[in-house]
Amino acid sequence: MINVRTLEPGTRVALTDGSTVEIVSNPKDGIWVFARYLSSPRDTSLVGTEEMVFAQDMVEIQTTP
Amino acid sequence: MAIAGKRRYTGGLVDVAAGQISREIFVSDEIYAEELERVFTRAWLFVGHESQIPKPGDYFVSGMGEESVILCRDREDRVHVFLNSCRHRGMKVCRYDEGNTPVFTCPYHGWSYATDGKLVGVPYFREAYHSKLDRSQFGLVEVAQLEIYKGTVWATWDPSAPSFLEYLGEFRRYLDLALDAWDGREGGTEVLGGVQKWLIPCNWKFPAENFSGDSYHNISHRSVDLVGIGPSGSGRRDMRERLIGRRLQICFPDRGHQTGAYVLPNEEPTPPAYQHSPVVSEYFRRCEEQRRERLGAWGRVTGAPGELFPNTALHPRQPRSIAVWHPRGAHRTEVWRWYLVDADAPPEVKDFLRQYYIRYSGPAGLTEQDDMENWNYAHAASRGTIARRHPYSYEQGLGFEVENYEWEGLRIPGTVMDVTDSKSSEHNLRNFYRRWAQFMDANSWDELATWRRRP
Repeated sequence: MINVRTLEPGTRVALTDGSTVEIVSNPKDGIWVFARYLSSPRDTSLVGTEEMVFAQDMVEIQTTP
Repeated sequence: MAIAGKRRYTGGLVDVAAGQISREIFVSDEIYAEELERVFTRAWLFVGHESQIPKPGDYFVSGMGEESVILCRDREDRVHVFLNSCRHRGMKVCRYDEGNTPVFTCPYHGWSYATDGKLVGVPYFREAYHSKLDRSQFGLVEVAQLEIYKGTVWATWDPSAPSFLEYLGEFRRYLDLALDAWDGREGGTEVLGGVQKWLIPCNWKFPAENFSGDSYHNISHRSVDLVGIGPSGSGRRDMRERLIGRRLQICFPDRGHQTGAYVLPNEEPTPPAYQHSPVVSEYFRRCEEQRRERLGAWGRVTGAPGELFPNTALHPRQPRSIAVWHPRGAHRTEVWRWYLVDADAPPEVKDFLRQYYIRYSGPAGLTEQDDMENWNYAHAASRGTIARRHPYSYEQGLGFEVENYEWEGLRIPGTVMDVTDSKSSEHNLRNFYRRWAQFMDANSWDELATWRRRP
């Protein structure tokens, strides 16, 4: 399980729906991060957009800065 | 409908005309629940100071009545006051005293709010809510009105309440005595150090009454005066103006605010103070001189303890501070005290004042401890079945107050009791309870804003 509070900007994370996001900023509340979509098989229009991503949706750290 | 005649509180439990007030209003849980609704949701309440949230994202968790609120500055630099309660299941969205954050996130189910109060994060919004939840309807609950006055932040839940300046009326000039710089420049104060917070086992109206102008209890502080904790090592404060000026108690019957004040003679300078430190003494001597030059005749007025209705106490002179009496049930009060200094005062002055302030006020302050002991035991001894049958006496000085008071060419706003010779009066205390009773009896601000009905 990922400790969301430790995720630094630039970290790439895989989500439960198969998307990949890159952390933009982290309020360190342990629940949300602000992230940019790098890919999204569910909805390609999300790519490049910035959204709040929920901790429970994050499954794996892919790369760290 | 005019507020007159005998109602449940006005002329009943609060019989100001006779100078008698029932103990029930201090110890009854039923009356306490009623005053949370009728006083604390309608009045303007002190929330904090702008200097506590200088940057976007800064927040300070405060209180309004029993409600926890968040004072914060959003990303666009706008100041807000929000109810600290998630719209989903009510959990506090902020459990820290102060800090900086981009979002307030509820730890229960994860709803998250931006610093402008908008709901920006809902877990499983697409999956569980099928993107149907109207997030715009579930932002943090915001106060109905907010006012920033000379750095202090005030708010009310009541959209029909008058503006803060109208709520103040002419009492504004006395509030300014606490908020303007010592040399009379407008504003210019900042909060010194943190906010002191502590609990007292008494009803919140005991301290509110005390700061309204109870100088009768000075005997309680005799030990502090003997020890000499004042800035010159004598008494509690350096307020030698009391020896040369007029000592007044001033109230505003239609607003419920009241304060003490001293008026110095025309030709007399303000007596020296803070002689334990030459730097500090010289700073205040210069400030007093400039204050007289800047304010003219009004510069002869110096402040004394006061109460802005309902639960904000002012201590404009020594030690300069603002206190809020947060109600925590009929039998408990949580005190929060902010200490104020001139923002541009030299560090030596601020440090000297910090040490004096904590020597005087707060849970460990010698003077405040005397007061707490009185309120604690007065409350406890008023709760019994027999005790409740016997009202308190508020008859001192009844009928001796003066309108349009003037001394040496200076007219003093408000209804005034000159206590220079009489030593003490309960004039201001009666005013506080008169207004409290009006709030308890009135159904709306149409009834409470009595000044609007004057010809």
